[in-house]
Amino acid sequence: MNNNTQTGHLTVKNEFKLSKFLVKWEMILVYLLVLLNVVLIATRSNLYFTPGTVSSIIQSGMDLSFMVLGMIFILMLGDIDVSIASIMVLSGMVIGLLMDAGVNMMVAVLCGILAGGLCGLINGILVAKIKMPAVIVTIATSLLFRGIVKIVLDVNVLKNFPGWFVTLAWTNVFGIPLSLICFTIVAVLFGIILHRSKFGRQLYMIGNSQVVSKYSGIRVDFIKICVFVIMGLMSGVAAIFFIGRMGGGLSSTMAKGYEMDVIAICVLGGISTNGGKGKLYGPYIATLIMAFLIYTMGMLEVDANTRKIFTGIILIVAVLIPYVNRGLLADIKLKLLYADSKNIEAVNLRCQSEVSTLKAKIRKCRKDTLLSNEEKSAKIKGYEVKIESAKKKCEQASKSLKEEIQAERLKTKKKLAK
Amino acid sequence: MTNNIKAQNKNLLEKITGYKQFGLVIGLIILLVFAYFLTPSMFTGGAIISMLKNNSVYAILAVGMMFVLLTGGIDLSVASTLGMTGVITSMSMSSNPQVPAFVWVVVSLVIGSICGLINGFLIGKLKMIPLIATLGTMYIYRGFAYLISGGNWLFPHKFTAGYIAYAQGDILGIPNITWIAILIFIAAAIFLSVTKPGRRIYAIGTNADSSHVAGIKVGNIKILAYTLSGMLAGLAGMLYTANYAICYYGMADGFELMAIAICILGGVSIIGGRGTVDGVVIGVIMMSIIAFFIGLLPGLSVWQDAIQGAIIIIAVAINIFTGRLSIKNALKERSSLI
Repeated sequence: MNNNTQTGHLTVKNEFKLSKFLVKWEMILVYLLVLLNVVLIATRSNLYFTPGTVSSIIQSGMDLSFMVLGMIFILMLGDIDVSIASIMVLSGMVIGLLMDAGVNMMVAVLCGILAGGLCGLINGILVAKIKMPAVIVTIATSLLFRGIVKIVLDVNVLKNFPGWFVTLAWTNVFGIPLSLICFTIVAVLFGIILHRSKFGRQLYMIGNSQVVSKYSGIRVDFIKICVFVIMGLMSGVAAIFFIGRMGGGLSSTMAKGYEMDVIAICVLGGISTNGGKGKLYGPYIATLIMAFLIYTMGMLEVDANTRKIFTGIILIVAVLIPYVNRGLLADIKLKLLYADSKNIEAVNLRCQSEVSTLKAKIRKCRKDTLLSNEEKSAKIKGYEVKIESAKKKCEQASKSLKEEIQAERLKTKKKLAK
Repeated sequence: MTNNIKAQNKNLLEKITGYKQFGLVIGLIILLVFAYFLTPSMFTGGAIISMLKNNSVYAILAVGMMFVLLTGGIDLSVASTLGMTGVITSMSMSSNPQVPAFVWVVVSLVIGSICGLINGFLIGKLKMIPLIATLGTMYIYRGFAYLISGGNWLFPHKFTAGYIAYAQGDILGIPNITWIAILIFIAAAIFLSVTKPGRRIYAIGTNADSSHVAGIKVGNIKILAYTLSGMLAGLAGMLYTANYAICYYGMADGFELMAIAICILGGVSIIGGRGTVDGVVIGVIMMSIIAFFIGLLPGLSVWQDAIQGAIIIIAVAINIFTGRLSIKNALKERSSLI
């Protein structure tokens, strides 16, 4: 990358490079999406081109999309939340119960989303204030929240939901699914928060080092609680789309394992689970990929349980690819540097040829009868000095080359270690 | 010197209250008193034996999970490993009933070890984050369990008597599966307290960097811990199918969370480096009594998830507070010595 640094204004400008842009992780995801479409077209072309198929594929993947947005923030901090599916069911239950009780529709929906936020607040306080590990807290609260739903609902199914839940999940506007439009709008909002606002930059910083950000005056605890509350609110919003996709029904055993799918999408989208790495549009594309992937495998008659294998492999490979990529790049660099070490040989060869020509000249001198002895010795001495200087030059050149190579190797090792 | 004298002068009461799992034992006793008055049927011999039998699988999984938690990692794939191994051993047992049942124990140990080895390789060598790696393998193993079983169930009449005896038979009135769990507890206690690799597990859990500097091969020890966890999960799979004489691909779903919960209840630190086998034993007993107790109370069986979740949160919170308190006390003692 070319960095134009001006010491006066301290501006660092990254030039746009097409070759770099095309091998970005997010671009690889786009290729994957295109590839999936091509596979679909090749295998089921008549179905693919009938109107409504593509939009229904997208609609089927949109129910967990809002949780993906919340999860990006959580993973950005280096934490994890596996209670989101339970929160989603809980807030869906609150909506359903309030609708049953005859409360105004908008109030009920608002209460449902706020219930999700409250659940997130509980998680956030336990993680940030009591300093419990996020994994344990959310495992326990996922049991707790789903347990509450089980206590309240038992084996009953809630069916009295507003009609627009289903229309929101299954309608198209100008051929584009309404749920995708909603998702895009919210995603843009989240993108602005993450990439352009102070809050978002603080998230990156906390993810990279909590201690440093604490000592530089960031309210780590407060931001953590905020992020968990946002996650809870987004789970509440996702409940609307989930119930809509299910056709307006909710029971206590629904949406089990959604949290794992959401985490898988985020990881596929290039969010590091260590925190502090990733862009928002990666998971956005990954959500679409997941929808297409599940549909394609369904088309190819791979059953739901075998799909789990693919989800698992994708999860592991997506995490490993950057590592392998880095390793491969380092390997290639080393090989190129070995090619440079051939240059050491080349330097040596050049030096040898020089020395040999000079030696030949010495021999000629000695055979020359026209010159006097003194002249001969002077000339030979001159040649010998030249030979020695050539040898010295060669040694210096090879030394500097070797040093360069070692420095490069150290650099690559450090990169690998990172 | 003063410290030594203090330690010698401790009387019996102080020794008892100083015991790490003291809080847990008190909790256990309170629970038992409640249980004695509310559900007296719990204290009949048959009830206790069935409780032991049904919770031994949790105990075996929890020991494996403890190895992993001590290294500072987590293993979410144990339940899937259990499912896959159980499917493989019981399916092949039903198609070759003439083979002695001991072979299937060995097979389950080998398959479990391979599953654990894959986890260990991903985490120890490729430096993946344990949560993500085992999340991925959790999906993969569960998928393979389905592929291998073909979605079929295996019913009790297909199980050979020798196979079932490994779990359901009894010696001195206690079921075999419980004996196996007890043996594993003893072996794990010896392994962790006496042997070199056992101490190294604690070392890398406490501080991976400094143990690396001290010459411990951190990656290899991690592989060992995950392999042990996988091996025990494999054994648990064989015993699970033998215990219930039933087998299907989705069995033991969510057991990994139970195993983690038991470990945490038993005082194993999720950050690594802290935790003992005796704590896990008490954790197992407590968790099984809670589950049994709730199951016996009328109309409370739907409360089980919520109560267990709440108990985990409270247990971890108490764990953290007592940890802070002990650090404070240690600091006070040090400052008073100066």
